[in-house]
Amino acid sequence: MTRRSPWKPVALAAVSSVVALTACAPSGADSSEDGGAKKTLTVWSWRVEDEAAYNKIFDVYEKSHEGVTVNFKPFKATEYNKILATGLAGSDGPDVPQVRSYGQVQATIASGSLVPLDGKVDLSGWDENVLASAKGKEDGKLYSVPLARQATVMFYNKGLFEKNGITVPTTWDEFMAANTKLAGAGITPIAVGAKDDWTLPIVHEVVGGATFGGTDFQKAVLSGEKDFTDPQWVASVKALQDLEKFMPKSVTGVAVTDAQTLFSAEKAAMFPGGSFDLATLQKANPQMQIGVLEVPPAPGAASGSEPTTAGWADGNFAVSKKSKNQAEALELVKWMATKEFGQMVADEVKQISAVPGVENKDEVLKQIGTNYDKNGSPYLLLTDFRYGAPSGTDLLGKGIQEMLLGKKDAAAVSKDLDTGVKTWFKPGA
Amino acid sequence: MRRRSGLLFVAPALILFGVFVLYPMVTAFSYAFYHWQGTTRGGFAGLDHFVTLFTRAPFKTDMPRALLHNLLFFLGTMAFQNTIGLAVAVMLHRRPRTRRMLQTLYAMPYLVSPIVIGYLWTLLLSPTFGPVNQLLTRIGLDSWALPWLGDPDTALWVVILVSVWQWIGFPVLLYGAALGGVPEELSEAARVDGASHRQTFFRITLPLLVPAIGTVSVLTFIFAMEAFALPYAFGGSTGNPAGSTDFISLLFYRTAFDSGAADAIGTSSALATMLFIIIFGGALAATAVLRRHERRITA
Repeated sequence: MTRRSPWKPVALAAVSSVVALTACAPSGADSSEDGGAKKTLTVWSWRVEDEAAYNKIFDVYEKSHEGVTVNFKPFKATEYNKILATGLAGSDGPDVPQVRSYGQVQATIASGSLVPLDGKVDLSGWDENVLASAKGKEDGKLYSVPLARQATVMFYNKGLFEKNGITVPTTWDEFMAANTKLAGAGITPIAVGAKDDWTLPIVHEVVGGATFGGTDFQKAVLSGEKDFTDPQWVASVKALQDLEKFMPKSVTGVAVTDAQTLFSAEKAAMFPGGSFDLATLQKANPQMQIGVLEVPPAPGAASGSEPTTAGWADGNFAVSKKSKNQAEALELVKWMATKEFGQMVADEVKQISAVPGVENKDEVLKQIGTNYDKNGSPYLLLTDFRYGAPSGTDLLGKGIQEMLLGKKDAAAVSKDLDTGVKTWFKPGA
Repeated sequence: MRRRSGLLFVAPALILFGVFVLYPMVTAFSYAFYHWQGTTRGGFAGLDHFVTLFTRAPFKTDMPRALLHNLLFFLGTMAFQNTIGLAVAVMLHRRPRTRRMLQTLYAMPYLVSPIVIGYLWTLLLSPTFGPVNQLLTRIGLDSWALPWLGDPDTALWVVILVSVWQWIGFPVLLYGAALGGVPEELSEAARVDGASHRQTFFRITLPLLVPAIGTVSVLTFIFAMEAFALPYAFGGSTGNPAGSTDFISLLFYRTAFDSGAADAIGTSSALATMLFIIIFGGALAATAVLRRHERRITA
């Protein structure tokens, strides 16, 4: 009797498992040549809700670019970061991934997964604040084409304002008087969902942007001339505390979806949010007339302060270094910087296109765009204070929650923000 | 021959375990000792990432707080879920006719995803539209109509109690099975000797349930230390409000996927390694203590 190795069955099982696993593996046909003629470009995105709009847009592209098929593949937004990290590192990733902006894209850039686009894509004449979203902090190179401009906005219900004899306030006193009148009429003046801390830096920017001084403050804080303990910044945080009485009861228990519902159900007159909220609000109550207003500077603001509309860019598209169709991917991204693409983004995706000169058909979006062009400033904590951990938005969100819970005052919240970001932020760097 | 065929049967599971569990665990452990630039591995970092966890913001404040919440979650689950579960199991054991149906009913909530459970309870407890507070107000208990998930003093307890409600069927089933294994003659003999129900339970049944209690406790510890889905559904990845429902797994999620930091893989792997050591160490210690107790009872 010959002695058989005890490992033979194990090896056999291992081989069969590997065969089974291989059979389950994706074929990788998405990005390969199709019959030697047509090439398929895979575009990844976190906008599941925009799939139909993007398919429509890419149908137009395919018509003018014979030989290229664009396959739009959206993933769940909350899972996207990890899916993209794996996709860009492996061989089955996208040709053209939608990437995050400003600080949030730095890790992707640092991993060397994206193709630098300097000299390949022409973005001359684009807003500097928008371009900053697509650049590497270390090397200053361009790595993506921005898709949309977002803005922080105070939405208001035109019907409720009219019914209560309120005109758009131009001073802080008028703004407070409007809130008092609305509260007296049994309406929640400002719908805030403070249970979701990520919304609170947006609410702060909407309410306090004019108070801390928008672009001027950005320059001062980046150069080190000022920091977040500056009295104007503290006053902007305190403005939020002063408005708590006009927010829903037990505001730290109210989710942002509840706040949106209060506004859509016309139980609240104002909703501080982002331009990205507009489609949801319009869909929830198509009859409601929505307007946008800029909150006037609160007490403590520098003299001569003007209301602002803070903005940032997001939804940028890049080219993966591992794409097997480099030329075609670059061509697609170049097209994304054209007015033709920008107009379709405005019309189909209902966003304010990042491409200069694109007109919005939606009146509210048009108004937001005009406000930004006139009084635009960066959404500071997103555009400049997300390059390290803890991020400015995380710190302020948590701090405002604590302030609304009565655990901290505006000065302490501002101090914590300053101390937190200074662990990684070096002024003038 | 027997050994070889045994290996053959075990091999597929062993390979799958190796590829999908053991290999990722070992690699995560190794990731913690390197610098990272996104997904690109840099130079050897030694214990840098572990030092970061204890010395740098936000970890030095968030980690101890999150760990405390995990421990409170464990204690709360032990105090409510496992004691009520045992009481229910004992009651069901005495009612053989309805036992099956009631066991199924108690187990029903854990067939639903914790994310869905969290979402449903968030709606129920909403201070704006939630029926719980509306009911309390309607019956004159206005002062009880609290912002349950908006107040740091109540939010963590809501997470714990909803988890207890969801998982109560788990100890009911395990204790039910263990009670079925307790010889009926022992209880009968005790009763013949004049022991009351109470005495029979505490002197006969409970000591014989110690192995089951031990198993349930260790599983509860692992479950509590790994808690993610329900806290995420209630408070998001930042443990709202103001970090009062933050857990270690949420901190890991934030560090790995939300921070966008270049070194995210290194820091989050260090955190995952720490969590593994805590769970593994805790489970080993608990098992050792329970074995000693078991030996004392059976001696």
